[in-house]
Amino acid sequence: MKNKEIIYSREHAQYLKKQKRNLWLVWALRIGLLAALLGLWELVTVCGWADPFITSSPSRIGATIASLYRDGTLFYHIGVTLGETILGFLIAVVLGCAIALALWWSDTLRKVLEPYIVVLNALPKIALGPLIIIWCGTGSKAIVFMTVLVGLIVAVMHMLSAFIATDSNKILLLRSMGASKLQILQKLVVPSSLNSFISMLKVNVGMAWIGSIMGEYIVSKAGLGYLIVYGGQVFKLDLVMSATCILCLLAAGMYFLVVLLEKAIVKNSES
Amino acid sequence: MKKDILQFQNVKLIYHTKRGETTAAENLTFSVAEGEFVAIIGPSGCGKSTLLSLAAGLLKPSGGTVISEGSFGYMLQKDELFPWRTIEKNIFLPLEIKKLKEPEHRERARALAEKYGLKDFLQSYPAQLSGGMRQRAALIRTLSTDPDILLLDEPFSALDYQTRLNVCEDVSEIIRSEGKTAILITHDISEAISLADRILVLSARPACVRFSHEMDFGEVKNPLRRREMPQFSAWFELLWKELNG
Repeated sequence: MKNKEIIYSREHAQYLKKQKRNLWLVWALRIGLLAALLGLWELVTVCGWADPFITSSPSRIGATIASLYRDGTLFYHIGVTLGETILGFLIAVVLGCAIALALWWSDTLRKVLEPYIVVLNALPKIALGPLIIIWCGTGSKAIVFMTVLVGLIVAVMHMLSAFIATDSNKILLLRSMGASKLQILQKLVVPSSLNSFISMLKVNVGMAWIGSIMGEYIVSKAGLGYLIVYGGQVFKLDLVMSATCILCLLAAGMYFLVVLLEKAIVKNSES
Repeated sequence: MKKDILQFQNVKLIYHTKRGETTAAENLTFSVAEGEFVAIIGPSGCGKSTLLSLAAGLLKPSGGTVISEGSFGYMLQKDELFPWRTIEKNIFLPLEIKKLKEPEHRERARALAEKYGLKDFLQSYPAQLSGGMRQRAALIRTLSTDPDILLLDEPFSALDYQTRLNVCEDVSEIIRSEGKTAILITHDISEAISLADRILVLSARPACVRFSHEMDFGEVKNPLRRREMPQFSAWFELLWKELNG
């Protein structure tokens, strides 16, 4: 029970102050570290200790992004990759949860499919590259397919283990109330797997980016992965570095969105 | 003589696993009368919990018959409250499962919760309650559908000693004042003596009823007062011998 009327002792006020100061310190150091690394990078290229043609530099990355922006292709490439990643991510998550539910529902189905899932999980998806090109063509469809492929099995395995780990005493309790299997699923299995669902989303954000960029490496005409491959082939390291930096920001942003979702959901359940 | 609400007649139960089969119960015969509080004790691993699953119809006996006239409410060792639901929503859970959607059912359950001191906690989550309060909420949840027979599977054994005595007191009072029939499974002899009208002593596996004792505390139903009475230690000694003999 919270009581806002409580007047804290001076010691507690000092404790809170110290906690706050620690938080500031951590943030200052985080930003300072980034600034120092970028500064050092810039310095070694300006002073000629490293060849900016090979290592690129923050100012050159900035200039490259600015020129991409000027010729109007920056948001086009970002949009292509982001679209493929998010679409692949969503399909993998939704399909993965559906398959996991089916496997939870039927023990027989689970036992039958278990070895297939294990093999598919172990298989490096990039080995399927040529097949995907032939099946899906050379457009965005192939890249979305690759993204789904990378994320799907992870989603299935993650959610299935969460469903199976449902407290057996709680299942017994529901059965004693006369609950049907569907009710056990709705009232217990799904809500108790919420935390696992969030952690699966976090893992799959990473998987989706792996899938989409890998897909673009194999086959693409646009996108950040395309820029990286193209930049590497024509030795424009500025372009490679620029695309990589943008990727970092996008991946972090998507992860952050999942964290926001987690806060919104968890606030409503446990305290 | 009140009528029997639950009867076990020559019940036999066999457990099957890959390694073989185990006879959990054989020739198990007893009955429970309406409004009676029966405690069942027995050596550990004799399949006491199995007995409740048989009573509730969650397990089918391999032989013999289980006749019950009434609905069941289960209460387990841990409260098993769902942490993502408020206490009120937890108490409504059996109503949702049984699809009892009329407001009077909810009103009844809410009134029950308020009567037994959960009024201020209805909108709290289980994590905000003490162990004793949680177990009380679990009992109210069990009572929310107004079951005829309560099946209590060691409902106090996960609590610390002091809480345990208090919750025991609580549960006894609530069950008596609601006039419910109850079957309590326990490994704690003193708990059985302090709560029950009758105690059944089971044998080791395969379980069957070895002794049945009517408690002679007269009108004293309060667990703590029973513990102070002279018969208490005599019963304890007798049951102890029967369990270990």
